[in-house]
Amino acid sequence: MEIFPALATVITDPTLLFAIVLASAVGMVVGATPGLTASAAIAMLLPITFYMSPLFALAFLYVIGKSGRYGGSVAAILFNTPGTAASAATQIDGYPLARAGKAGKAMKVATISSVIGDLMGDVMLVVGVGFIAAIALKLGPPETFAIYFAAFVVIGSVIGKSITKGLASALLGILVAMIGLDPISSEERFTFGSFELSNGIGLVPLMIGVFVLGEVFAQLEERQKSKDAIKENVTDPEGHSLSFDEYKPCIPHAVRGGFIGAGIGVLPGLGSAIAAFISYGEGKRRARNPEQWGNGALEGVAAPEAANNAVSGPSMAPLLTLGIPGSTIGAILLGVFLIHGIQVGPTLFLTDKELVYQLFACGMLGILAYGLIGFFGATQVARLILKVPTSVLYPLIFLTAFVAAYSARGSMFDVTVMTVAGFAGWLMRKFEFNVAAFVISFVLAKGAEETFRQALLMSDGGALIFVERPIAAAFILIGLAAMGFRIRSIMKERRIAEGGHGDA
Amino acid sequence: MRDMVEGIVLAALSLIAIWGAWQVPPAGSGDTWAGIVPFAASVALLVLSGFLVLGGMRTAHSGDGATTNSGSDTLDILILFAVALLYQQSFRWFGYVLPTAVVAPVVLNIFGIRNRIGLAASVVICPLIFHVIFFELLGVFPPYGEVFDLLDWFRG
Repeated sequence: MEIFPALATVITDPTLLFAIVLASAVGMVVGATPGLTASAAIAMLLPITFYMSPLFALAFLYVIGKSGRYGGSVAAILFNTPGTAASAATQIDGYPLARAGKAGKAMKVATISSVIGDLMGDVMLVVGVGFIAAIALKLGPPETFAIYFAAFVVIGSVIGKSITKGLASALLGILVAMIGLDPISSEERFTFGSFELSNGIGLVPLMIGVFVLGEVFAQLEERQKSKDAIKENVTDPEGHSLSFDEYKPCIPHAVRGGFIGAGIGVLPGLGSAIAAFISYGEGKRRARNPEQWGNGALEGVAAPEAANNAVSGPSMAPLLTLGIPGSTIGAILLGVFLIHGIQVGPTLFLTDKELVYQLFACGMLGILAYGLIGFFGATQVARLILKVPTSVLYPLIFLTAFVAAYSARGSMFDVTVMTVAGFAGWLMRKFEFNVAAFVISFVLAKGAEETFRQALLMSDGGALIFVERPIAAAFILIGLAAMGFRIRSIMKERRIAEGGHGDA
Repeated sequence: MRDMVEGIVLAALSLIAIWGAWQVPPAGSGDTWAGIVPFAASVALLVLSGFLVLGGMRTAHSGDGATTNSGSDTLDILILFAVALLYQQSFRWFGYVLPTAVVAPVVLNIFGIRNRIGLAASVVICPLIFHVIFFELLGVFPPYGEVFDLLDWFRG
């Protein structure tokens, strides 16, 4: 019940309320702008939060993340260009509705469903996170390392098209995190005699490089392709209003989507895109009008949108209780915690419980804020986005990346790291390596190494300790099973593509 | 073919990483070797690069490896990367203001802005806005130009 005093504290703080409303608007605009992601915006704003109080900084970025997820639906419905990967499922029915002059109706369904899903996810987070933290406190180093191992394998193998490239991206993230002094023995690793490398690679410049500068490089490449004119949608004055009777059939899909999204959100690495597509598929399977799905069914917008946004809250559970970020936004938020000297993990609920619940309260108010902004102003936001020329926007983002990377620690080396990380991030995107797996693994690597070495020190049988302890063994098996299932599904897809029997 | 090249590049990276991990001195008694995780990760990367090379060889045999190449796009990216490298290095030589005044119109031009008045305005507006936000309002100490710093010149 800690959430109620937290809500009272946040509601009575005008500066926090201002931050929440501002972050809702910023996140929505960023999410709705094709090519811009909430991760990029959060990474870019990260250095500014050095000068804010921890709660203000965390709330601001957390709400941008939430609102950015929702904002992706605006671009998906109006421009047939999903602002985020998760909005691709919304696009299937959203865009046909917009073409039929029902853009306003579709956006209102997306808004209400997003709010329902997101609130469901947050309520489950608030109810469940304390239990997970209590269990996490009882885990020893072998069990914690096994969870890290499972996270690495799941993140590397489940996201993206290629398991090999996904796992390679995760390993590259681990190797980059190992640069610098070993925190236990203070031995230099991968420094090659460079003094600057002995301090390691900073999280902030790496994030800004990969997500912001890398995105600018990618957008420059995409510039020619995106010059295609956006088709003018039909305008129907009746298509902007939404009655309760029209939304009523969407409610079961939104609620189911909320449960699907919340369930998937707890598992690190799976992310909102998977949740949205599973919810869409499940919704279509159970729909009374499956033939209409794909041609402009309002339920086809409600199901993925609710699931997509329901991921947001529960994805904070592994981050806060175990220090394992389930998404790129989670990885950046972990950086904010560390910057402000807050240790994330099970002890967080002993040391900074109030802060955590106030952050949840900010998230809930953020949902209401973007819900209101979206319900009444999504069309205006879309018009605003159409007016901003990308040929000016991306050069400004390019310049911001440099000054933001410098501002983090006043270090020129960080700017160099950011520049190199930006190019590397673009290369990874171009060659279909997994940027998210790279960044999340970079963040996880040090904690994983620490628990691995602690486990070895307390073990008589070396690495056998991970097999002998049942919980540790179970998590290692979960990781391997996830990879096995993924390999199986890829092989099945390949057989279908080659014209064989999918069920063979 | 592309998989094979990617695999070879990854293999080269992993060999460098194995060599780098091998340079870590051995652990003292009762401690674990500091190079154990870097070494294990490097070896795992080498194994994965082997899979990529094998996959590439299989694709090359079946003739499915045709890839499209957009040379002009890649050239644009390489030019922008070169500008980025020069820009970050020039902070050390000329501080923040002068490099930003030079780079802003260049990057705008790369992104297709051809309006001369706009480009000229960016020379003043971009460094001014970023300087005010980050170095005046947020109070970050600006990078000092070792060769020449326009900010010092403005401040007399």
